Amino acid sequence: MAAEVGIVLVSHSAALAEGTAELAGQVGGGGVVIAAAGGTSDGRLGTSAEKVAAAVRRASAGGGVLIIPDLGSAVLTVKTLLADLEDDDDDGAFGPLGPVEVADAPFVEGAVSAAVIAAAGAPLAAVRAAAEEARDARKL
Amino acid sequence: MPASSDPAPGTSEASITLAGDLHARPAGQLSVAAAGFASTVRLSVNGRDSDVDAKSVLAVMQLGASSGQRVTVRATGPDAPAAVDAVIAILAAATAVE
Repeated sequence: MAAEVGIVLVSHSAALAEGTAELAGQVGGGGVVIAAAGGTSDGRLGTSAEKVAAAVRRASAGGGVLIIPDLGSAVLTVKTLLADLEDDDDDGAFGPLGPVEVADAPFVEGAVSAAVIAAAGAPLAAVRAAAEEARDARKL
Repeated sequence: MPASSDPAPGTSEASITLAGDLHARPAGQLSVAAAGFASTVRLSVNGRDSDVDAKSVLAVMQLGASSGQRVTVRATGPDAPAAVDAVIAILAAATAVE
């Protein structure tokens, strides 16, 4: 089986990121690393590129990492971070970690859906597709 | 009791009456298991025409399968019988009354 895909949850709220990671981890059965990157480095609501970068390193198990951001400026933080790393062409910080992709998905549903497919050992593209399919999922 | 049948070549099907509700964690367990098979795996409740992809945990949760309902598992593909057996076993264990 291919190396496992890790998941990073980026939220403006540390509690939201950690709670969603806990929920997705339990539904997925615990076999996948789901790293939370919530709030600013001084504990306020917001997002932190340093926290996201650290979470990506924690989540990396060789099969790549899927980042799921919650709202607008979390997306911006993630995109800026990834662009900076691409500029650092000489083996940027994520070089040895494998591919890192961002999912356009609802936060909780996307995390749960991605965790399940990652737990089944699917590759990054399938894990991202599972997260993004959550956009169409109905609850009622 | 699960009842197995063989509706078409490459397709396996079995049903089970749930002894309890299907909650989020077992739904996840079911989808993780289903996603490990090459076959397509679909679930339907109480003989309804509409069915859902067992590999999509959100779809499985949305089914809202609850105690007393009959869930039919239908798989099509190279490992269809094993996929049906695995999913039926999870439904039986996860919804068993303690």
